[in-house]
Amino acid sequence: MKVGIKIMPRDVILDTQGRAVESSMKSNGFELLSCRVGKYVEVTVASENKAEAQSQVEKMLKEGGLYNPLIEKFEIQIN
Amino acid sequence: MSNKTLANEHEHEQKLKTYRLSSDEYQMMTTLLKREPHAIEWALFSALWSEHCSYKSSKMHLRKFSFRNESTPEMDGENAGVVDLGFGEKIAFKMESHNHPSFIEPVQGAATGVGGILRDIFTMGARPIMTADYLCFGEVDAPRMKDLMKGVVRGISMYGNCVGVPTVTGQTNFHARYNKNILVNALNVGYFAPGQKMALSGASGPGNLVVYVGAKTGRDGVHGASMASASFDDDSESKRPNVQIGDPFYEKLLIEACLQILDQELVVAMQDMGAAGLTSSSFEMAAKGQVGLVIDLKKVPLRDSSMTAEDILLSESQERMLLICEPKNFESIKNTFKKWNLDAVILGEVQKERKVKLQWGVETLTDIDPDLIIEKAPRYERPYQRWASPRKVEQLATPTFRPSELIQKLTKSFKLNQAHWIHNQYDQRVGARTAMACESSVAFARLDHSGRGLGLAVGCRPEVMQMDAEVGALDAVYYPAFQLALKGAETLAITDCLNFGNPQKPEIMSEFVASVEAIALASRKLNAPVISGNVSFYNETLEENIISTPATGVVAIRDSVENLISDQFQAPFESLIAVQMKWVESWTAVMAADKKVSSFKQSPGCDVPDFIKQCSQMDAEFKKLDLPISSIKAIGLGGIATTCLKMTTDAIGFDLSYDLNGNQEADLFKDSFYGFIVSTGDNEKTASFLKSHFKNLNVEIKKIGETTNQKITLSTSTQIEPNQFRTDYLKGL
Amino acid sequence: MSLGTKLKIGITRFLGTNCDEDVRKWLQSLSADTTYLWFEDQFDVNHYDMIVLPGGFSHGDYLRCGAMAAQTPVMKSVKEFAKKDKPILGICNGFQILCEAGLLPGALLRNKELRFKDQWVQLQVNNNQNPFAKKTEVGQTLKLPIAHGDGNYYADSETLKKLKDNNQIWLTYKDNNPNGALMDIAGITNEKHNICALMPHPERALYEWMGSCDGAFLL
Repeated sequence: MKVGIKIMPRDVILDTQGRAVESSMKSNGFELLSCRVGKYVEVTVASENKAEAQSQVEKMLKEGGLYNPLIEKFEIQIN
Repeated sequence: MSNKTLANEHEHEQKLKTYRLSSDEYQMMTTLLKREPHAIEWALFSALWSEHCSYKSSKMHLRKFSFRNESTPEMDGENAGVVDLGFGEKIAFKMESHNHPSFIEPVQGAATGVGGILRDIFTMGARPIMTADYLCFGEVDAPRMKDLMKGVVRGISMYGNCVGVPTVTGQTNFHARYNKNILVNALNVGYFAPGQKMALSGASGPGNLVVYVGAKTGRDGVHGASMASASFDDDSESKRPNVQIGDPFYEKLLIEACLQILDQELVVAMQDMGAAGLTSSSFEMAAKGQVGLVIDLKKVPLRDSSMTAEDILLSESQERMLLICEPKNFESIKNTFKKWNLDAVILGEVQKERKVKLQWGVETLTDIDPDLIIEKAPRYERPYQRWASPRKVEQLATPTFRPSELIQKLTKSFKLNQAHWIHNQYDQRVGARTAMACESSVAFARLDHSGRGLGLAVGCRPEVMQMDAEVGALDAVYYPAFQLALKGAETLAITDCLNFGNPQKPEIMSEFVASVEAIALASRKLNAPVISGNVSFYNETLEENIISTPATGVVAIRDSVENLISDQFQAPFESLIAVQMKWVESWTAVMAADKKVSSFKQSPGCDVPDFIKQCSQMDAEFKKLDLPISSIKAIGLGGIATTCLKMTTDAIGFDLSYDLNGNQEADLFKDSFYGFIVSTGDNEKTASFLKSHFKNLNVEIKKIGETTNQKITLSTSTQIEPNQFRTDYLKGL
Repeated sequence: MSLGTKLKIGITRFLGTNCDEDVRKWLQSLSADTTYLWFEDQFDVNHYDMIVLPGGFSHGDYLRCGAMAAQTPVMKSVKEFAKKDKPILGICNGFQILCEAGLLPGALLRNKELRFKDQWVQLQVNNNQNPFAKKTEVGQTLKLPIAHGDGNYYADSETLKKLKDNNQIWLTYKDNNPNGALMDIAGITNEKHNICALMPHPERALYEWMGSCDGAFLL
């Protein structure tokens, strides 16, 4: 089963990349209110059970250093 | 306050705890204010009376650094010290710590450390031209240590490279006493070309505007105090600390914008928003200039509109500055910042009445004399004892050890390591001034106007500090000055970053006082004033204190950047000559490899400063006499053998079995301060020059061996496999 | 040394460019008439004889190195300038910007070790048919420093073949490829050989005291 993980900077944390992209877009005449840049990770696990896949991926996130809880948050996406 | 109920009492205790103020400090606060503090004043006093901002435990000892000479103008209270180099050129330089944030989040902690020290320099109007780092890590195998090492290096590299300031030198130490409290110190040197204006930090001119420039304010570092205790297993967002994020890209824009408005003479005063953010910058500017300020916090540009006045005051968002300008110049300033894509907003104005009035729209939050909070901050004379050198002995016993095993231990623990993996992540040449960088023990940059070489080295060897605080602190100044002298540079000035444990413990305070006095003494002897610095106390985790670590940065000057002699061997079959003054002798490196601390022997009558001075004059003589000197290096910890190992290249080794003069093989690893090794194509001519050059000093000069075609021979009984050694020496993370 | 008739050289300046001063010092030492070209402004292409895109971290190098710089007004003029077959030199981030702008083929990916790398490299000159190689000979070795996090040159096999067939591979790393670049590519040119770019920094190797003088061979 394919599991998607959206990793974004925590809301309270300054997103330097998002800030730069936002101002570049604006100066090129595009209209946007804000921009934040994160990562998208796709993991394929053997399990076909949603709950099981979810818990496997959660373990990777929390114990495997897949995200940094100090500065990032995540969202697991399973179709 | 006898009528207080128990509940009130408890609430009061909690408040003191939250704001980290002692009962005595609370009493002082109410006495100074002549009333109970208002809500926001708690936060102000808490921030500005913290050890970090007020230097309350160290200030009375830091006065011992008052020595100045004709090149060092009195600039007390400014962001960095200034040295006049002649030819119209000046430099500003300073060193600062970012230890605790780097232990929590190494990449951002180290990055914001570099950003902070850069701002201290360019806020004075100097263009930053050289960065150095001074790092102390724990044992490589300690928990989290490899990640901390990689993260810190990435943070420094990420920030310095992007902002376009080369990181040219540094020192990396490893010791178990840093396992739970690493040290990340960064130093920056800024350059003033002839005619370039210097900016000061004292506000002046009632009616002048208080202007906020740079990045918007977010919750970065707000309530940073709760960081250490927070548990990250908890998923709730709100409980996690608000790590400060550094953006070198914004810093680069801020540098260009600030230097441009200073160049156009649009600024009255300028101060960066560092620790305690807007609070410290506004109160310090007012106190320094002996004026008052009116500031409306509602006008501060925010990233997060839900921030309260207290959040705004205490935010440690990076890449922001506060400046004072005449009203007529604001439009030009605003336009310059707009060009660089940065905000410039009027927060208020300077007033004659010496009060800082903080507004939240029409509401007045506080209106107090800045001196109450800056000048009248508490000062403590913490108990200490005079230094007595407990490990000083009359006779040193030679420890038993096997050289090849010792070398393995040293390489395995990264103590004998070229740190190439660190340095090649740093851009060492941006700016096109670099003449010597991390491949050597000291760095040189070419000064734009005069073409002279500005030398930079950092110092403080934790193992020597652990052996003796007084010797260690003298060494923290003498050793880098000596290393610079060997490249022909004369010492000019010193900065320091005093990393210590808990100052409320007399044994720590005793080491602190001994260190300050030793640094002050060495500085006077070398005619090199200590012109700036930083104190970082409370480097302790669970009652365990770090080794007292007074890191230093030393700058020196050389007539040109041409013909700098390398640290590394250049050719095989050359003679190796050692010159040594045996001021202090010990087995520091050998004992440290076994986690023990060495004793030491001290010889009276050794004039170390004079030796350093004569060494600095030697380089010009080499050239004048056309001596074929191909490399020169100070003898570091681990003695002649370890130093020769550091001088090897993939192609060139050495042989020390040449003539041991009856000395034991072990003596090749003995530490004696100070000495150096030269390789030369003409043994006789070089030896006779050295003898005549140092004839007035009590130094030992002898041929110790030769360079070879790769082979490494310590003695008739010990050979080191060169390829294996080079691999171990160059290994990284 | 001088470039003869006073050459008018434009140096692009984006937010975050940090080798602009270094490049200007180099060009001025050759008596060129230099002008900074601000990223928000277009310029008169007839006014300049040469354009140099210096290194740095344009727009923070966020998103992709050079991506945001490539979308700026000044690059519209650079493209127009390129069409006139006049010489353009991109150094480091300048190389990345030229690729992102489509003026040079390929892309520069993260270094193979995923780290920034600062070191001296030995380069081989493979082709001297471009305005910045006139002083060099094919087969000559140049010692220059690199300092980049994204210098790993990538292009599809068809493009690589074209580069090779058209003699567009200008410089390659000798002995030791520091970043994983395909075919050891350190510098390339466009088909017409007027747009040239390299990852190493010639402006940091102009005098003995810098560690090498080989950068001076480029102009």
